[in-house]
Amino acid sequence: MTARDAGRVVVVGGGLAGYSAANTLHALGHQGSITVVDPEPALYDRPPLSKHLFDEAFELDDLSFASEQALAERSIETRLGRRATALDPESLRVTLDDGSVLDADTVIISTGARARSLEIPGGDLPGVHVLRTYADALAIRHAVVEGSRVAVVGAGLIGAELASALCTAGARVSLIDPVEVPLVAVVGAHMATHLHGMHEARGITVRQGLTAAFERAGEALEVVLVSGERIAADLVVVGVGIVPNIEIAQSAGLDTDRGVLVDAEFRTSVDGIYAAGDVARRRDPDGTLHRPEEHWEAAQFDGQAVAHAVLGLEAPARGTSWFWSDRHGVHLEATGRLSGPGELVVRDGGEHPTVFLVHRGLLEGAASIDDAMTVRAARRLIDQRVPVSIDALADPAVALRSLLRPAR
Amino acid sequence: MADEGILVAHVQDIPDGEGIKIDADVLGTVDDVALFNDAGEIFALDDTCSHETASLSEGWVENGVVECPLHAGKFCLRDGSVQSMPTTVDVACHRVIVSGGDVRVVPNPARRAQ
Repeated sequence: MTARDAGRVVVVGGGLAGYSAANTLHALGHQGSITVVDPEPALYDRPPLSKHLFDEAFELDDLSFASEQALAERSIETRLGRRATALDPESLRVTLDDGSVLDADTVIISTGARARSLEIPGGDLPGVHVLRTYADALAIRHAVVEGSRVAVVGAGLIGAELASALCTAGARVSLIDPVEVPLVAVVGAHMATHLHGMHEARGITVRQGLTAAFERAGEALEVVLVSGERIAADLVVVGVGIVPNIEIAQSAGLDTDRGVLVDAEFRTSVDGIYAAGDVARRRDPDGTLHRPEEHWEAAQFDGQAVAHAVLGLEAPARGTSWFWSDRHGVHLEATGRLSGPGELVVRDGGEHPTVFLVHRGLLEGAASIDDAMTVRAARRLIDQRVPVSIDALADPAVALRSLLRPAR
Repeated sequence: MADEGILVAHVQDIPDGEGIKIDADVLGTVDDVALFNDAGEIFALDDTCSHETASLSEGWVENGVVECPLHAGKFCLRDGSVQSMPTTVDVACHRVIVSGGDVRVVPNPARRAQ
């Protein structure tokens, strides 16, 4: 039984957060209609886009969260290929780009984000790509052949994964980032340096520098760095972060600040309108803005939690953050924070290091390569606030799970 | 029916909270089979995650669920049903008979190699 009747629910945006919201509404016994609107041709999962875009089989069907039949069985209706253009804050009516109107008693905004483009000369030249959607991935897939020179601007998670996939596809890759070692704030300096070093080991040309412009050079392009260095490329892909899609929220006059502002129950500034996933930004009653997580699992948990909130139910407890990244044939996982107050502990002894951050005797974060069980154990040690010793963490002979057992 | 199924392991071979992998050849199945020990109870599922190629026997076992070592999709140990994305497809389960510390698996007929 749900605690509150949410009536007709329209979910604007069918990425992971929106899909999870719709799915969870159904699972929790919501009786009203559920309609998911998305401009994309399907409700699909994005992590494979930067990893598997050159795989022999790279079909939208394989990325889809659920078949049409499975959605129908859960009474989830979809309006795919349609963009919501307006949301009336009084009636909660949602207008789509074909002029049709959806009546709603509850609206969940889960429009996600788009790839940030570089506002520099040549930023919109043909051959300059971004990677956020299946269509983006297909465009890159079709433009790259064996031996193509590809410049990837931005060496964060997406840039690093794409550079790896491009290598596998036989492209000659340049990877450009303004900082010497990216991801330091995310996985700590030690792990970030190790990860970044893997690019050159794979034959990728790594350049540090701020990109000033993209210019045409005959049939090809040149990336011009602020230093004056020029990097020739047949194709450029920009991976410099995301911009939340807040336009629909603005049309309803909702409070926004680089995201749709929500409280701990995912409520926006207008009754009956909620927001979740990459588009949402939590603001505490004292005005403190939370950092957006921008990771896969966070979007899934947001979707599940907003469904609970909409139905007046308490959402399941949420542990510390977690993400993965697959590149150069290895699997990175990280949980919690690896920068800020605390002592960084490095566990050496294998091909790749494992790193931990310990603060006041408690684990705050961990990252590992091809050793997922250590991070899964670390996650539970963090959530259960199990005291840890630095010696045990640094010792490769100590299985992290054994530190958890006494607490069971 | 003490001799029903195929003897594949002893209970003490499978530490609590962990899994081991039994070769498909041993069981005559299309996929390797993962055996799990969850608080003393033994379960058997197809070993390969239905999401991407990963061995569920290397996953995290807890509270009736195995969490894939790659992307943390979760499956029910009892019936192989999906409990959490990114995977969306169930994996097959196999019947387990434990007797006197011996672990026998009765391969799921739908997963027998031809």
